[in-house]
Amino acid sequence: MTTLIARTVSKACLPIIILFSVSLLLAGHDNPGGGFIGGVMFATAVSLMYVVFGLNYIEALYNNNWDKWFGIGLLVASLTGIGAMLFGYNFLRSMSIYATLPLVGSTKIISTTFFDIGVYLVVIGGLLYIFKSMGEDK
Amino acid sequence: MILMEHVPIILIALPIIFGALTIFFRSRSALQKALNIGVFSFLLLLSMVLLFHVWENGILVYEVGQWGKYGILLVADLLGAGMVVLSSLISLMAMIYATDYMDRKALDSTFFPLFNLMVAGLNGIFLTGDIFNMFVFFEVLVLSSCGLIVLTGRGDHTKMADKLEAIFKYLILNMVSIILMLVAIASLYATVGTLNMADIAVRIAFLADAQALPWHIHVIAMMFIVVFGYKAALFPLHFWLADVHPSAPAPIHAMLSGMVIKVGVYGILRVHYLMFSDALFMLQPILIFLSLITIAVGATSAIGQYDLKRLLAYSSVSQIGYVLLGVGMGTAYALTAAIVYLVNHAIAKSMLFLATGETLYHAGTKDMRKMGGFASSAPFLCTIFLIGSMSIAGLPPAGGFFAKFLLFDAGLSAQFYIPIAIALIFAIFTLFYLFRTWLTIFWGGVKSQKSGRSHTRNPTPAIKFALSMLACVVIFIGVYPEPLIVLSNTIAGQLLDPQPYITAVLERGVR
Repeated sequence: MTTLIARTVSKACLPIIILFSVSLLLAGHDNPGGGFIGGVMFATAVSLMYVVFGLNYIEALYNNNWDKWFGIGLLVASLTGIGAMLFGYNFLRSMSIYATLPLVGSTKIISTTFFDIGVYLVVIGGLLYIFKSMGEDK
Repeated sequence: MILMEHVPIILIALPIIFGALTIFFRSRSALQKALNIGVFSFLLLLSMVLLFHVWENGILVYEVGQWGKYGILLVADLLGAGMVVLSSLISLMAMIYATDYMDRKALDSTFFPLFNLMVAGLNGIFLTGDIFNMFVFFEVLVLSSCGLIVLTGRGDHTKMADKLEAIFKYLILNMVSIILMLVAIASLYATVGTLNMADIAVRIAFLADAQALPWHIHVIAMMFIVVFGYKAALFPLHFWLADVHPSAPAPIHAMLSGMVIKVGVYGILRVHYLMFSDALFMLQPILIFLSLITIAVGATSAIGQYDLKRLLAYSSVSQIGYVLLGVGMGTAYALTAAIVYLVNHAIAKSMLFLATGETLYHAGTKDMRKMGGFASSAPFLCTIFLIGSMSIAGLPPAGGFFAKFLLFDAGLSAQFYIPIAIALIFAIFTLFYLFRTWLTIFWGGVKSQKSGRSHTRNPTPAIKFALSMLACVVIFIGVYPEPLIVLSNTIAGQLLDPQPYITAVLERGVR
């Protein structure tokens, strides 16, 4: 059983780590960061919860099939590539537009982001699936 | 034709997409089976279209992501496209076989996604024109095949603990070889400053012409021999194969021994004949020497085995030695023979492994000494096993005859008398251990001490279909080898003169 300090601190850390991982994901195409590193960070946040609170406790709250995340991510990433082919370009050709979004203002929207989101989900799904299966007694 | 140029990437992307999709249909076995057989048939069709296109119109180059001249390329030349056809054929048959062979638990969990990813890795290795991407696809291949080895099928009498031990060996030793490959690629990149294989070939040739070839290029070439030799189970690096391959269920065993060890041969053909043609004079004697020891060690180890799967695994080690002997001799004729041998061994060996899986299910044990007289209870398996043994041993009506004949003839015409003499002696060993196996299992009296788990049920129609299709291909190669020999001869010509490959990659119009 972990201490009260560990539980309180990890509760406070969880949203910060997840927000940071999302910011890494969205920065990926221009700045340091990207789908892989963001995904690893998300997975560490969730595995921190698993370690601090125990697998059974977390599963009672929120039971997740992480392999589904893996599948969705792989699908998103590869369909981004196929999407470029539908527009008559080669596989994974990237494309960017500038758009004005509410709240954010002028933003560069680039198709690589979708590929990165796919990678993000693949990494989360893969790592947490392995982590969870290692933790379960079967 | 606009769609034609996308075919190389579709061959890689389609299995990845279906690898993802099959995760969502896990519990629906019937849908999974139909879907996957459909996809793999489509891939076989597509790869044959690609081979014909390359044969008619020359090398096809595809820029992934259109990053211009220095982006990541897929290059479909005759060797790559031909290997993709071979792997698509074997994976389709293994998939058809597996739908009836694998346990329900395996089919419902990870079999289909991982099999798709493994095929994506194989196709990627054969089609990429970029050495680092080859490394990435090696990783995809290794990790997905690890997951496949632990699954169980109905003729699979390996304990889970043994499987996990085998996986551990496979994973750790493969990681060592893959790190070695990474070091070799990094040193190459530091020396010539590019990862595109055609570009590397041009720059190394330029350095060699200027008499400025750094000595460590030879070391890098050796490191690649170790990496690919590890994959292909070349002599000092063959020890893992006999533990790992027999632990896998039959369809995966067929894929591993049929296609995955051929990846090493493909790597040597591609990397050394394209990039290190200036270092070949030094590597060829080493390859010939090691492949002869591989032949000898594989054949003698196979003779002492009573475990059917281990015997065939050692036989694979021995046979891959013949292929590498042809690769090492290095004349156009010898390369032709090596490629014919590779194709024949891939098809016949995977057929033999698939038949073995069904035989073991029939027998209820994996010890050959407890089997006997199956010719009356399983005549179909008896025939398939005979055709496979004849092909591997090199008897005339099957494809192996031409493979062995061409190899020995090529060796004699290039005046490699002693290596050919040694190879010939161990060819007789092959004949001996395969036919002894066949006689023990299928002839003789029926052994009464069946362990109560034996199954008299004949193979199901899907399994019969897969086995007889492969048998037809083996017989077809044996009866009418002309197209295969012409194709292999052209491939050998392209390997020895890589200028068309380099021209196609480097002097193409950038879109």
